Amino acid sequence: MGRAHRIPGRRGRRLRVALCAMVIASPLVAACGSDGGGITVNVYYSTEENFDKVVAECNDAAAGRYTIALNVLPRGADDQREQMVRRLAAGDTDMDVLGLDVTWVAEFAEAGWITEWTGQDKTDVEAGTLAGPLATARWEDKLYAAPKNTNVQLLWYRSDLVPTPPKSWGEMLEQAKRLKADGKPGGILMTGAQYEGLVVQFATLTAGAGGKILSDDSTRAVVDDGAVKALEALRDLANSPASSPSLSNAKEDNIRQEFESGKSAAFQLNWPFVYASMAKSNPELAKVFKWAPYPAIDASKTGTATLGGFNLAISSYSQHKPEAFEAAKCLRSAESQKFSAINSGVPPTIESVYDDPEMAEPYPMRETILDELKNPAVRPITPAYQNVSTLISTILSPPAAIDPKATAERLRTELQDALDSKGVLP
Amino acid sequence: MKAITEGKKAERRLGLWLCAPAALVMVAVTAYPIIYSVWLSLQRYDLRFPAEREFVGLENYVTVLTNSYWWSAFGVTTLITVISVVIELVLGMALALVMHRTLVARGLIRTVALIPYGIVTVVAAFSWRYAWDDNTGYLAQLFAPDAAPLTQRASALGIIVLAEVWKTVPFMALLLMAGLALVPEDLLKAASMDGAGPWQRFTKVMLPVMKPAILVALLFRTLDAFRIFDNIFVLTSGAQQTGSVSMQTYNNLIRGLNLGIGSTMSVLIFIAVAAIAFLFVKVFGAAAPGNDGGKR
Amino acid sequence: MATSQSGAKARWALIDVVVLVYALVPVLWIVSLSFKTKETLADKNFIPREWTWQNYADIFTTNQFLRALLNSVGIAVIATLIAVVLGTMAAYAIARLDFPGKRVLVGVSLLIAMFPQVSLVTPLFEMERSLGLFDTWPGLILPYITFALPLAIYTLSAFFREIPWELEKAAKMDGATPAQAFRRVIAPLAAPGVFTTAILVFIFCWNDFLFAISLTSTTSSRTVPAALSFFQGSSQFEDPTGTVSAAAVVITVPIILFVLFFQRRIVAGLTSGAVKG
Repeated sequence: MGRAHRIPGRRGRRLRVALCAMVIASPLVAACGSDGGGITVNVYYSTEENFDKVVAECNDAAAGRYTIALNVLPRGADDQREQMVRRLAAGDTDMDVLGLDVTWVAEFAEAGWITEWTGQDKTDVEAGTLAGPLATARWEDKLYAAPKNTNVQLLWYRSDLVPTPPKSWGEMLEQAKRLKADGKPGGILMTGAQYEGLVVQFATLTAGAGGKILSDDSTRAVVDDGAVKALEALRDLANSPASSPSLSNAKEDNIRQEFESGKSAAFQLNWPFVYASMAKSNPELAKVFKWAPYPAIDASKTGTATLGGFNLAISSYSQHKPEAFEAAKCLRSAESQKFSAINSGVPPTIESVYDDPEMAEPYPMRETILDELKNPAVRPITPAYQNVSTLISTILSPPAAIDPKATAERLRTELQDALDSKGVLP
Repeated sequence: MKAITEGKKAERRLGLWLCAPAALVMVAVTAYPIIYSVWLSLQRYDLRFPAEREFVGLENYVTVLTNSYWWSAFGVTTLITVISVVIELVLGMALALVMHRTLVARGLIRTVALIPYGIVTVVAAFSWRYAWDDNTGYLAQLFAPDAAPLTQRASALGIIVLAEVWKTVPFMALLLMAGLALVPEDLLKAASMDGAGPWQRFTKVMLPVMKPAILVALLFRTLDAFRIFDNIFVLTSGAQQTGSVSMQTYNNLIRGLNLGIGSTMSVLIFIAVAAIAFLFVKVFGAAAPGNDGGKR
Repeated sequence: MATSQSGAKARWALIDVVVLVYALVPVLWIVSLSFKTKETLADKNFIPREWTWQNYADIFTTNQFLRALLNSVGIAVIATLIAVVLGTMAAYAIARLDFPGKRVLVGVSLLIAMFPQVSLVTPLFEMERSLGLFDTWPGLILPYITFALPLAIYTLSAFFREIPWELEKAAKMDGATPAQAFRRVIAPLAAPGVFTTAILVFIFCWNDFLFAISLTSTTSSRTVPAALSFFQGSSQFEDPTGTVSAAAVVITVPIILFVLFFQRRIVAGLTSGAVKG
């Protein structure tokens, strides 16, 4: 009997040895993806149409000293951050240039994941770059990234329904209500889903009411009267007949599509990418598709808008730092930014690019953008930004349920906990 | 006599050797990490503030247990667990009866019913998400025009329960079907002769025989439902307070990189699951499968 | 009698249809989405108005999906093989041998079957990071084996208890060597159980999402369920609904094939392992 038992045992053992060999071999399988020979600079960047062409240009310019490999990050900002952060936390050496949303620089710098820009590299980046976007690339007075493109939201409206664009938030609500009452499309579309887009609206409205969410050094949660006014404005819009029923689900692309359908909306608060899209998908409506500065609660502050966009940073774990810095500078050069602006609609961070005559046709709204860029509302700069943002979007969702005073109180206590890194993420 | 003890010894040794690899892997991948997790949960350890790592005792537990988000997630998890397991039990029993008794196309029914069991949860979750999404979905406007059901808390929770129930009813049904097979056919016939109607036969004859199978199925599914993650991740990502405790742990760990808080939640979930299992075994007397391991 | 019989049949047929609809509608919906063109994706029609293979062409021309598919298949197959081998050894011991610690082993595997997997994510994340296992195949294979083992042990020990082991003795009496007795008599009897267990374990590994999304960070080990949520649209603000659906259908195909060909085995495996105990 004993002998009979040993047989399956031995067979099992032999099999197991074979399997272990397979397990050990598998990382090699995984590793054989990258090619040998020459220096490869791995760039991780969000999805941007035609960015591969910019990369190709820069590869030509590098003339074989290095090759830039473009790795496209997932779509959502949270997913992009999650992916990079996890690899950096594991000390991954395969990442060189990182495309960071403007709100992540402080976090990445504080954690020691990105390298400071110094000397000539720093001088090159600072020359001619707009002050607002440049501020998003700094942490504790050091430069940690190079602004690649910026972004500001504008008020987009239909000139066939709205002869003169509203000068303030209240005026916009009034106009929308009147249109609705006349049975015309009078909807106001805004990104109201529980995500960063809602935080952008809140930050813009707060700045437009002269208020603050955090103190200037981002150590205290202030949430002052201006912020309360912003909460009132959000609540008013959400409960207004002009609001879209899917407000609490709406992200950038949802409201773009809804506006392009031409059925329900007269206003849209969105990034400039909607302009090129409208021309393609609804040429008829594109003729009456106009823009104006983001309407503030306080009319004198109309045109104050939150900065979006991307900064390029160099990973601390990069094995090819000099090449990475050079590649990053090429990817954000005035020439590259012009190409991206014209072909993909992303606003440049270098002021001189706006004056380029070639910009006039694809970028007719460049004056308005530039005005807003010079008068920016910067989102809180803090290493705990992710927690701050998650809490804000959670507490403000759904916007229709905002109770301004109570909501402000909640924001104050929970944001303070988050800043002290004591809080629990929802 | 001596030969027998020799043989016994050899048998024991062989038994241990055969089990050792499996036991080793299971313990190495679960026991050690859990202990490590307890250790991490006593520290302030946020990867974004590496300089601030320190031992803080039970502070993380106080933070989590006094946090309203944690209790909200705990409530949501409990609610989803209870509602979906109850529905699954009813539907699972119905499906088990169908699979067991149908006169028509029994093989086909059994095959088809296995699809929800086998399909990848994330795939099913995407199907439900796109079905209820107000842009793409054929179900979105089922109850109200212009509705966006996934963005309202009550309806979103309903959809999460639906997705969970859809996927697991067949599994429940299979477990119950095994119990059904144990019901002696002649007992049912005898009851029928005594004038018992279908309902009486079900409650008086079948249920008592099936009780152990039902309890095991309930235990399995309750613990499984309490771990719900995939469906919520895809359907709502936990927005509008629909996150489960697993979802919240993931958020604090992977999104927040807060290993201290993340570990604290891990330990708390572990304790909660152990408590549920204990409750089932002690109060309901559920016999865990394989408990009669001593038998040949 | 005949009419009541056919009446019952009609009733059962009706009930069968309900079950069919229940099980198939969500599957057909994702199939339908995967065949819709970009323009009709948002038309909310259950059946596509225009059919296209474009979404499939898209996913099979990007490295992202192919790589994830390779990871999924490789990781699930290796984990299944190892778990079934280890599980067979343990189950054989549990079913046939008497040794101390048997109850403990059964108890431990039961505990693990009910273990909240998320409790392991934090420590495993931290441990794999320092061991260099993070974002590798073994980094996923290990937890998969662990959680598949209880399933394998239960199912297999249930099968093994059913095997008429006396046949082995009989064969030896007839002059067969132990090896021959095992190969000719026991192996053919045990094989179906092992095979069934392998299917169940494979389905389990194929399905995992929590570990796949927590313990990977790149395409080098990310499996399809995790990769689905990382799909990109053509621009930053565009939803990849069509390609996600196509990829979802692709990873559903093996499941459908298993179910179609091995329905009896899967049912037998699940019912015997879980309840007869």
